[in-house]
Amino acid sequence: MVEPLRIVDFGRSSPLRSQTLWHAIAYGVSTSERATLSFTRPAAPYVCLGYHRGVEEVDRDYCLENGLPLLRRMVGGGPVYLDSDQLFFQICLPVRVVPAARCQAMRLLLEPAVTAFRAVGVSAVLDDDLEICAGDRKICGHGAARIEDAVVVCGNLIERFDHERAARVLALADPCQRDQTLTLMRRFVAPTPLDPAAFQAALIAAYATALGLGPELGGLTGAERAALASLDERFASDAWLAGPVRQARARACGPSARQVKVRSGVWTLGASYDGARVAASVVRGMIELVRLHDRGLNGSKDRAERALTGIPLQSAASVLAGFGDPGRRLAVAFATADPARL
Amino acid sequence: MAEVPLVVVAGFPLALDRRYQAETHMWVLETGPGRVRIGMDALGIETSGTLAQLSFSPTGTELSAGRPFGELEAAKFVGPLISPVSGTVANVNEEVARDPGLAARDPYGAGWLIEASVSEIGDKGSGLLAEPAEITAWFAARVTHYRRSGLIAQ
Repeated sequence: MVEPLRIVDFGRSSPLRSQTLWHAIAYGVSTSERATLSFTRPAAPYVCLGYHRGVEEVDRDYCLENGLPLLRRMVGGGPVYLDSDQLFFQICLPVRVVPAARCQAMRLLLEPAVTAFRAVGVSAVLDDDLEICAGDRKICGHGAARIEDAVVVCGNLIERFDHERAARVLALADPCQRDQTLTLMRRFVAPTPLDPAAFQAALIAAYATALGLGPELGGLTGAERAALASLDERFASDAWLAGPVRQARARACGPSARQVKVRSGVWTLGASYDGARVAASVVRGMIELVRLHDRGLNGSKDRAERALTGIPLQSAASVLAGFGDPGRRLAVAFATADPARL
Repeated sequence: MAEVPLVVVAGFPLALDRRYQAETHMWVLETGPGRVRIGMDALGIETSGTLAQLSFSPTGTELSAGRPFGELEAAKFVGPLISPVSGTVANVNEEVARDPGLAARDPYGAGWLIEASVSEIGDKGSGLLAEPAEITAWFAARVTHYRRSGLIAQ
């Protein structure tokens, strides 16, 4: 007899519930061991932080002025803008059936989503960085977590994407970095305006086939409803929003930096040190665009920017060595770049 | 702290001066009476993917063997760091929390994760491997297994 894959469609839900509903399912799957594929769509826009990310990465004043709630999820990744043009899906399995190695687990649980995209006519692939792409462009956001004894992988169908707002909600001190981030988002993040019902059906079929399970409509159990009530309270609390204990990353008087990942291998850097400022777009390890500011650059600003454009990020310091004290300050700012932390 | 003596087993460094929890790849090093240091071995780190974030329970938190003492994020996957011992968190490595890459660069030294106060580490029945020969055999078998399943390069 084929084991069931519980399908739970929550339809539209509030921003808070669009997160807490599937977290409640994860706690439920942890004890019930019932594999579950769930869906929801936020009824209103909001901003959502990855588990480890800081609230300071989000422009909270802008969010407040524009009625955008800020929530923290338990899966990884950076701050993202979410709205009703995105259909969220979550596949949740008991930990015992998921490979212990996270890369293998992610591949296993994301490949059916790729199958679903292809079934509805999108030439999607799961790339080496475990991102679902069509061509050069990312078409599905994802994150994952082990929550007690369940593993959950979340993704979304982006029917339309508000690139401007997605860039605007980020706290970025340098307007050059914001412009560069928006440019890269437009180039590397693409919506797929599909029929959501067709995609949902394809997703159910793909996960059921891949996992060898039989789809079966279901709803929340009593235990999951209890978990939901508790999660509603927890996720709305200031303590939860503040996040897990995080250590200060920057040393006092040291350089400050802000990195924004647009998709794997594509990101912007905004960094400053002792009055020197850098805003750079990095695409697959190469500096594609750079804007520099330093009081001592005088007439050599354009020359320095040209010298840095098109070179590997790790070569920035050696190129800047030819620009005296301003070059040394800018090199310190550049040295804050840490792609591993994106 | 003195330099850690390492051997290389199947291409991965391994320290034989400590105990290991086989399932989680966590190591436990006694640093004084009732005090241990906990970290993750090179193979556990390699199979986690590039570490993006580490967070730890604060000092004073009670630890239970087999329960989380923090979280690790790699490739957008957040998962628990499982404690190999019971006791109390006595110290956390703020350096590795600031720079998780340190755990990969120096897994048996500066890349330690937390320190704990414990009443006993336990030998038989604790699930921790203590003898250098059994640690080496276990580690070599895990490398072979991960290579066969394509998790690490041949």
